[in-house]
Amino acid sequence: MYAFIQGQLVSIAFFIFILGLIFQFFQFFKLTKKKEWIYPPGKVKREKKTAGQWVAFCLASLNGTLWKTDPLITVVTSVFHVFLILVPIFLLGHNILIDQSWGLSLWSLPESITDILTLVFLICVAFFLGRRLFLSRVRAITTVYDYLILLIAAAPFLTGYFAYHQWFNYDTVMTLHILAGEVMLITIPFTKLGHMLFFFLYRFLIGNEYSFARGERVW
Amino acid sequence: MENINLHQEMKPVDVKKIKEMLNLKKGKMKRYLSHCAHCSLCAESCFLYMAHHKDPQYMPSYKAIYSLGRIYKKKGKVDRKLLTEMKGIVWRNCVLCGRCYCPIGIHIPSMITFARSILRSQEVYPQLDDVSSESWL
Repeated sequence: MYAFIQGQLVSIAFFIFILGLIFQFFQFFKLTKKKEWIYPPGKVKREKKTAGQWVAFCLASLNGTLWKTDPLITVVTSVFHVFLILVPIFLLGHNILIDQSWGLSLWSLPESITDILTLVFLICVAFFLGRRLFLSRVRAITTVYDYLILLIAAAPFLTGYFAYHQWFNYDTVMTLHILAGEVMLITIPFTKLGHMLFFFLYRFLIGNEYSFARGERVW
Repeated sequence: MENINLHQEMKPVDVKKIKEMLNLKKGKMKRYLSHCAHCSLCAESCFLYMAHHKDPQYMPSYKAIYSLGRIYKKKGKVDRKLLTEMKGIVWRNCVLCGRCYCPIGIHIPSMITFARSILRSQEVYPQLDDVSSESWL
């Protein structure tokens, strides 16, 4: 059982994760079609901005985003999502494992830093959990499934943190850590976590700012 | 008018028709419903939510989840009582101004529109008299 979780299931999880994302990607383009413009948008000639003007433009357009209505959640959710992707990729332990199996590895962060980043990530998770529990507007649309999704996202980090500090039985925690990671990878393409891919794909449907290809696709 | 209302209440729900409609837009609506992270960040973009002292039932995501989401969850097997309940959500609580903003990029107005067409196919919709007297709420 342990050997299966640490060996074959890892490949199976990555296989499902990558194939699932590819499937969802092509499915999206199969379900949508190119928009037939009634009034095609005119081509706006963009003025060239200097670096300073560009920074000023970016800062000014922040006022049109969530930053204006809720700065705290904007920061927390940005940190949460960035760390969720970066920490596992640039973790020393993971890179050593990749190096051992494939002979190549990415640049990795020092362990003391990833330790702090993981803790920050877990604080973000606690913030989301608190919001779900105590804010009435979030509670109004919360189901058990939402807590489960949060658990799936947080479990690899929580168990990884335990494993690094060698709390509890190391072997058990490590197996749980691997299992949690595999569960997350498998569930990403087919559940709520699919917004990892669809966050970007939905930009093809939005015909305004923050869009790709001027929102040229419709369902 | 009373006759029409009575007629609306008596007629059995055509589940087959609803199922057909649901299947037609399954690819789009199921994805929208499943990718909604239930984060409630769309709330402040709705002027009705802001005007009603931030009452959660005016949140765009709440309106989509409790109308179309519920129909999909029940796979179209809804009764007239539930549809009448949804009438208030999709016609009174939402005016389809299209200003709701979703961080993930879900187009909420299209979900409300679809819920409205399902309700309309079952002859559940506000009558002109009801609207002016607000008695249908």
